[in-house]
Amino acid sequence: MSTFSGLNAAYSGLVAARQGLDVVGQNIVNAGTEGYTRQRVQTSAVGALGASTSFSLPRPGDGVAVTGIARLGDVYLDDRVQAALGQSSYWNTMSTIRDGLEASLNEPGENGLSSQLHSFWGAWQDLANQSGESAPASVLLEQGRVLASQIADGYHNAQAQWSSTRAQAEGMVGTLNATAEQIARLNGQIRSTIAAGGSANELIDQRSVLVEQASALAGATVVYNDDNTVNVIVGGSPLVAGTTARQLQLSGASTMEAAAADPVALVWSHRPAQPVPLDAGQLGAALAAMAPAATDGSRSGGAIAEQAEMYNRMATALADAVNPVHEGGVTPGGSPGGPFFAVASAGPAALGLSVVPSDVSQIATALPGEGGKGGGNADLIAQIGAQPGSPDDLWAGFVVATGVATSAADQQYKLSSQATTIAQNLRSSQSAVDTDEELTNMLALQRAYQGAARVMTAVDEALDVLINHMGLVGR
Amino acid sequence: MINRVTNQQLLYSAQRNLQNAMSEMGRLQDRVSSQKEITKPSDDPAAVANLLRVRQSMSANSQYSRNIADGQGWLNTIDSALSAVTSILHRARDLTVQGSNDGVLTPSQREAIASELDSLSDQLLAQANTSYLGRSVFAGNSDAGVAFQPDYSYTGSPGSSVTRRVADESAVRVDSDGTAVFGEGSSSMFQLLKDIASDLRSGVSIAGRIDQVDTQLNATLTEQAVVGSRLNGIEKAQSMNLDQSVALEAQRSGVEDADLSKAILDLKMQETSYQAALAVTARALPATLADFLR
Repeated sequence: MSTFSGLNAAYSGLVAARQGLDVVGQNIVNAGTEGYTRQRVQTSAVGALGASTSFSLPRPGDGVAVTGIARLGDVYLDDRVQAALGQSSYWNTMSTIRDGLEASLNEPGENGLSSQLHSFWGAWQDLANQSGESAPASVLLEQGRVLASQIADGYHNAQAQWSSTRAQAEGMVGTLNATAEQIARLNGQIRSTIAAGGSANELIDQRSVLVEQASALAGATVVYNDDNTVNVIVGGSPLVAGTTARQLQLSGASTMEAAAADPVALVWSHRPAQPVPLDAGQLGAALAAMAPAATDGSRSGGAIAEQAEMYNRMATALADAVNPVHEGGVTPGGSPGGPFFAVASAGPAALGLSVVPSDVSQIATALPGEGGKGGGNADLIAQIGAQPGSPDDLWAGFVVATGVATSAADQQYKLSSQATTIAQNLRSSQSAVDTDEELTNMLALQRAYQGAARVMTAVDEALDVLINHMGLVGR
Repeated sequence: MINRVTNQQLLYSAQRNLQNAMSEMGRLQDRVSSQKEITKPSDDPAAVANLLRVRQSMSANSQYSRNIADGQGWLNTIDSALSAVTSILHRARDLTVQGSNDGVLTPSQREAIASELDSLSDQLLAQANTSYLGRSVFAGNSDAGVAFQPDYSYTGSPGSSVTRRVADESAVRVDSDGTAVFGEGSSSMFQLLKDIASDLRSGVSIAGRIDQVDTQLNATLTEQAVVGSRLNGIEKAQSMNLDQSVALEAQRSGVEDADLSKAILDLKMQETSYQAALAVTARALPATLADFLR
């Protein structure tokens, strides 16, 4: 046991307390930093050098040693946040898209297609009352044109929403690729820092923020490797493996019409034929919303294309409902009526709907044999709207189905964001900084520092007695 | 169970609660200012299905009310035309009775009666061509412009009628068959009066003609009764239409409109809870150990 070992032990206490205070400082200043995980100095007592022998006294330890700075995170809680984020961002994007589609219907209200349909049928009735007059006829023709253009507007709206969703998805893929590269780079830095014995806590924090971003974008999950790197998995394959990042890209058509035959899909850049299945994240929602409409009319396709398809069906249904009745009547001049609506054979029906007659003489208002001023046929057409299976019914069914789908998506979003909130709450309970706690730690470390300094003073005084005051008695 | 509560948690949950309270307040404010319970289909899809149906019925109903007004115009026009026809025929009958007093009348008196009968015939023709908003009310769906040509031929097509739809399932006939009232061509009542006049002039006894005039008078009165009952029917339809529109409006309002007093109360309550949340947040958040350490 050396004379100065007490001083050394006290010195190690001073060092440990100072480092502890540094970490407390780091924690407090980062209390508001996104993704910061609290840290704690880990210390252990240093044992005595050499064993005591029967000729010597038992020896105390040689002070305290700082063994590391621990990052008090919890991988399990991180995983939970990532999984919840993947779901809640999916439903967030989905409900935003559905809200937009729903708002474009303008239902229920004066500006919706249903009220325009009512005006259209009403105009037929007015013409039936004053058949052969040009004023109600031109009102009817105008109402028919407004109806056609409103259907076309609805279709254009869906088209625009599809294009903007496509552009957003491109942006998301770009961000995802950049995130993957950053994660791979951080993986490398973390591995070499830890291998060199340093502390990579802040780098790990940064990496987990990026991983969360990838989860929100594409529902990415994480696999932890033994060398302190992580693999990020998207759609079953690694986006990041250790220090290597792979790239994703969008394939498929860039317009809604062309996407029916060539759907938009997420693929690996190095293997463009292989689509990546996504069922979470913003990107997953955007891809699901852009999917082509179901060909069997079951409305189970992508939300945007289904809405556009609905306008096509409305256009066809209108022509199919009005034309046969119109063709069964005769014009004021006595000649048989032609079609009232024409649907262009090329392109979407919603954009190709037009009104054929140009004036009163071409509108078949009368029933055959009724006389030139007859309005029987116009009355028949006016009744179409109230019949079962009418275009009005088709539209009402669609409005209700849209409402149900939108409220379901909103509900899903609420639930999944609650799950995210709970997961984030649990994690911040574990890993966020509590300033009260840090201040308490600070007080304890302050006292430890003072105590160690006190020990040093005591040893110093003892040595002073030994060195300066020994053997002076009686001098 | 969370044992460790951090500042960040408190901050986030305060933020979230304030945000929720604010968005709820926005929703309630929207409801009060628009006074609508349902502004988009997802608010209540089932109610929206109802609402669309009610709105369709409302728009059909208001269309029917326009049809009814139009039908009333037609029937009133016919009714007054038939009243005029009846009084003309009464006068014609008086003249016929007067002219049938063979041997009493001088030729000039006969001529006077004959020429009045001629003019009555012309008046009848004018009444028969009465029109409403440019349509001859006795001509059915004919587009000839008049019901009877100057040669007393009928321009309407037999069997066709003008109807107005007054409810989903009911249409009322609003015209009157010109041939049923006035006859046609040589058997028309115009020709009858002309014939009586020419008989008078040529000295043929017209005593047998009184019955023929009576027959015409009866036909007119019968038609007027029919028109009157249709007018009655259309008035009934009008009052039903009015009831219906009130009922539909009540139905629409019940589904779509917000209960204002409840909406305002809800808003006030939400305002209070928002203010409470603000006050609590302001008090709770800044307190840390640092405030008490020296």
